[in-house]
Amino acid sequence: MATDAAVPAVSMRGVTKRFPGVVANDKVDFEAAPGEVHALLGENGAGKSTLSNILTGLYQPDEGRIELYGEPVAFASPREAIDAGVGMVHQHFRLVSRFTVAENLVLGDRRGAGRYFHIDPSAIATQVRELGERYSLPVDPRARIWQLSVGEQQRVEILKALYQEARILILDEPTAVLTPDEADTLFVTVRQMAEEGRTVIFISHKLHEVMAVSDRVTVLRAGKALATVRTADATPESLTELMVGREIETATRQGRAQPEGVPVLEVEDLWADGDRGTVAVRGVTLTVHAGEIAAIAGVAGNGQRELAEAIAGLRPSTKGMVRVNGRPVHTGDAQAAFEAGIGYVPEDRLGTGLSPTLPIAMNLSLKSYRHESVGPFLRLHLMRHKAEDEIRIFEIKCAGPDQETDELSGGNLQKVVIAREFSAHPSVLIAASPTRGLDVAAVEQVHSYLMQAAEEGAAVLLISEDLDEILALNDRVLVMYEGTLTAVEDRESVSEIGLRMAGGTPG
Amino acid sequence: MRVTFERRLSQPWWLSVVVPVGAVILAFVIAGILFLATGIDPLSTYRELFNAAFFQTGSLSQTLITATPLAFTGLAAAAAFRMKLYNIGAEGQMYMGAIFGSAAGLYLGSHVSSSAFAIAGMIVAGIAGGAAWALISGVLKAFFSTSEILTSLLLNYVAGLILTYLIFESESYWRQTKGFNATVFPTGKQLPKVAQWPTWTINLQGGIVVPFGAIVAVIVAVILWLLYSRTRFGFGAQVLGDSERAARYSGVRVRRKILAVMGLSGAIAGIGGASQVGDFAHALDGDPNGLQKLGYGYTGIVVAALARYNPFATLLVAFLLGGLQNAGNTLQGPNFPAGLVGVLQGIILFCALGCELLVRYRVRIHRKAAAKGTAAPAPAPKAAS
Amino acid sequence: MNNSLLVVILASGVAYGTPLLYAALGELLAERSGVLNLGVEGMMLGGAVMGFWTVQRVHANTGVALTAAIVVAALMGAALASIHAFLVITLRASQIVSGLALTIFAGAVGLSSYLGNDLNLADSPAAHTFNAVFPKSMQNWPIVGPIIFGQNVLVYVSWLCVVLVSLYLSRTRPGLNVRAVGESPAAADTMGISVTRYRYAHTLVGGAFAGVAGATITLAITPQWVNGITGGAGWIAIALVIFAFWRPELCLVGAYFFGSLQALAPQLQARNIHLGPTVLWTNALPYVMTIVVLVIVSSGTAKSRLGAPEALGVAYVREER
Repeated sequence: MATDAAVPAVSMRGVTKRFPGVVANDKVDFEAAPGEVHALLGENGAGKSTLSNILTGLYQPDEGRIELYGEPVAFASPREAIDAGVGMVHQHFRLVSRFTVAENLVLGDRRGAGRYFHIDPSAIATQVRELGERYSLPVDPRARIWQLSVGEQQRVEILKALYQEARILILDEPTAVLTPDEADTLFVTVRQMAEEGRTVIFISHKLHEVMAVSDRVTVLRAGKALATVRTADATPESLTELMVGREIETATRQGRAQPEGVPVLEVEDLWADGDRGTVAVRGVTLTVHAGEIAAIAGVAGNGQRELAEAIAGLRPSTKGMVRVNGRPVHTGDAQAAFEAGIGYVPEDRLGTGLSPTLPIAMNLSLKSYRHESVGPFLRLHLMRHKAEDEIRIFEIKCAGPDQETDELSGGNLQKVVIAREFSAHPSVLIAASPTRGLDVAAVEQVHSYLMQAAEEGAAVLLISEDLDEILALNDRVLVMYEGTLTAVEDRESVSEIGLRMAGGTPG
Repeated sequence: MRVTFERRLSQPWWLSVVVPVGAVILAFVIAGILFLATGIDPLSTYRELFNAAFFQTGSLSQTLITATPLAFTGLAAAAAFRMKLYNIGAEGQMYMGAIFGSAAGLYLGSHVSSSAFAIAGMIVAGIAGGAAWALISGVLKAFFSTSEILTSLLLNYVAGLILTYLIFESESYWRQTKGFNATVFPTGKQLPKVAQWPTWTINLQGGIVVPFGAIVAVIVAVILWLLYSRTRFGFGAQVLGDSERAARYSGVRVRRKILAVMGLSGAIAGIGGASQVGDFAHALDGDPNGLQKLGYGYTGIVVAALARYNPFATLLVAFLLGGLQNAGNTLQGPNFPAGLVGVLQGIILFCALGCELLVRYRVRIHRKAAAKGTAAPAPAPKAAS
Repeated sequence: MNNSLLVVILASGVAYGTPLLYAALGELLAERSGVLNLGVEGMMLGGAVMGFWTVQRVHANTGVALTAAIVVAALMGAALASIHAFLVITLRASQIVSGLALTIFAGAVGLSSYLGNDLNLADSPAAHTFNAVFPKSMQNWPIVGPIIFGQNVLVYVSWLCVVLVSLYLSRTRPGLNVRAVGESPAAADTMGISVTRYRYAHTLVGGAFAGVAGATITLAITPQWVNGITGGAGWIAIALVIFAFWRPELCLVGAYFFGSLQALAPQLQARNIHLGPTVLWTNALPYVMTIVVLVIVSSGTAKSRLGAPEALGVAYVREER
């Protein structure tokens, strides 16, 4: 550890970046030493990603100075940042999915095998294999990215930075897509890289990770850098206070429901294909009772999205049955699913859950418009009044019902979806990653809406990659792995659930 | 200096008026510079153009003759493009409407005595012909996800070949086979008087002749506007036009909608074809250098795009571009080569497309040049242990 | 033997297929960078008219005049493509509408017709044309004579282009970069590859190819200027790219297939053979077959997307929140 080295690897002074209507970074000071793991902690929207995008040359700051190893720099493009030794693993991987691992690594490279005009795939593959072995990040260099699991893809991202000889490595929410075990392995790699003298900037909003892996922590809130502290001197409580600015009351379920009576949602031996034509859901059987929150944990890409879509009528099942209140629902038919009382908050808010450039009022009637009409004609006044009511009740911050939907912030977008799905009073409510990318206040609100729905008697199916969220809300946990669902026993610990998420069986 | 575009947080209403008008003015300036470069005096050209289009005696009657088909093909394109279905087959669908419409006119004209009945029959037949032709692309799109752009375009050529075939290469029902002229140059059979569409005359500019088709076009525009903004069908179609995933999510039957919108678009173009026969030609025009040379279907796309797919704006733009096209025909000669108006239309469309960005984005110019990044020399990482 | 229908059709299929091949290669390059350009027909007409004008006006020997004509045609195509590039890359206009606008602007009722009339190009044969390069004796060899050795230099250059484009995309660094730009501009951008620069370059080169394709028609196949002479070849070329799964080698096969279909009608008519009940069938065949092939290729849904660049038709914007 070289936390107190005289010349910091990264030094940012008074960095400001404005976007239309928002100051993403407001006079941020940040410093990281060689050989240090420095955590950037903050809520979603606090400005962590903007700061790292400035450091990687993707954005240019409006004000401020940046120095690397004591030398002032002003990156006009990502290329210059890479050449200066800054590498980044983005939260949403920047990989070309149809390329091989090796091709992704040499992309844009000006030093290694890719600097020649002519490209020799097998020579590059050999080089990549050696690099993977050296850092115990094994991947097949000839594999295409789309064939790899999410964890493997992350390894490719890290290898890419190492291949580019990055001395400063930024990891943006790296554990969001990993099982607890995979995350532990990642932490080992991170420490190894720091011991080699690299600087690792670890972006996260999860306290326990920050405590486990970092030497120092800088806390960002609302675009401002509030403080930098040594991790050893900090406690989770002190960091939380800095991050949120007040104490948060984490929503937890009071008086969990006992499954009783007739199940509201019954799924029987359901099979469905994924987008690439492979089988994504393999014989899922599941029941959810009224007032119950059943939570499905799992790493993304194990068939959760396909399962939710099959139940919500967006994806035809190849086999099996979905019943609501005892009546079968035709699986390829979203209209029938809505009429049967299934509400669905999809993972992809803007684009699936909402029609981006249409007015908010239309999005609030996206499913119910068929009933808000006289003959073929719409009752526009009724729709407008309903929209105004829902905007008020659900506290959607907007200019009015006629505003274009995609102008709203992430939290307000989700409120529009929830307002629509809730006001139809569904018997079954499916929520897929409902809090992804939202700030703490919005997360709390979404959680309380979900619990309220359960209290009012809906059968709630929550699908999430966030174990904390699942543990806070569930009545019952299920784990999805490679298209199949297994139930989790009551007494199982977090690490045992994690083992299931990786395909193992505890005990 | 660096130029970036920033998303506007709100769009002032006046932008959607100022920007298109500004785009048209810009287009005339750019075209003017081009004219100057080729030795044409832009100001006098524009003056001549506008006189011939709108101001000299009889010009408005002529303009309506070109504006009417453009209104139909423009509305056809607007109906489909707005739903992100790129039907560029209005040309061929119009030919099919003309073929079906004239068949109905020829038959009904000699079998019924009621003009209203004959004309209604022609319109229905035109709708059927245009819709059927468009539905070929619609079915292929809905069931095989074949690009409707390519199929509808290629079908234009096929429709043109059929049109020519019916008059020039066969002894079809549509062809005039009796009489001296028929042996010299093949033509279509003349429509009986009963089936010819009426006109009205407004007492202005020495009498402006308004064809029946122009009135039908206005009615179609009103229906289209009602359909898309006031009905359940239109609601679903608007969602589909914005995001297909959101449409599936909201329960819109996507295939059915694609078929309906393509059929509707083709039907409108088909009425345009029937109007060509009933209003103006009074016979099926199979000459490859006749109707097929005018390219109404393609200009209709320009019309719709300039009108940003709004039905009423489409009517207005059709009238303006119809005027330009009419003026181009009138003035055509050594000083005013054919194609000049097409060039002008193209430039107008380019400017409109380019300026559309300004409605949604704010242009920001950064004066300070970004300093070149300098790679800092730094200690290499220690070798892996 | 060399007079048999099959050999004649294949030989003229190669000739008719050559403009399709040039245009398709150009469109392929643009699409591989993520830019869909539906203006091919317009750019071909632009190249056709300017190439023809050059041979009529340049008073030099045949070799110089034809070389100049090809260069002018390529520049015309690139100039027209630059309008599309500016609109869709810099100003983020809809690629579909902008491409259509380009075809309308430069097409049979627009610029190419204007230039043809203004420069008085109609009604006179080309002063210089591309002719077969190999000696008559070689052209008379059985089968391969007419098909392979009876062609003009543009045909042989097009083969070279196929090889070069194919190697460029699969084995060179800029080729790798352009594929990345077309597949995932965000990934390319983070790796320091300029998405804008690559898209501009490939759209312009694509336009140049289309311009050459147009000149191939007016200087080699039907050496004259007629308004709208391409007759939809530009659209068939776009279909060809889909048919070829975005691979240059397959463009070659497809171009000669569609070229042969186009050659079919005049050959059958010359021999008084009727396909189907009337001449209509034969004339419509190239268009109908293109549609049929498109349907077959696109009906296997997963398969059709096999080659399509993932970011095709999508503007890339980095700094938007």
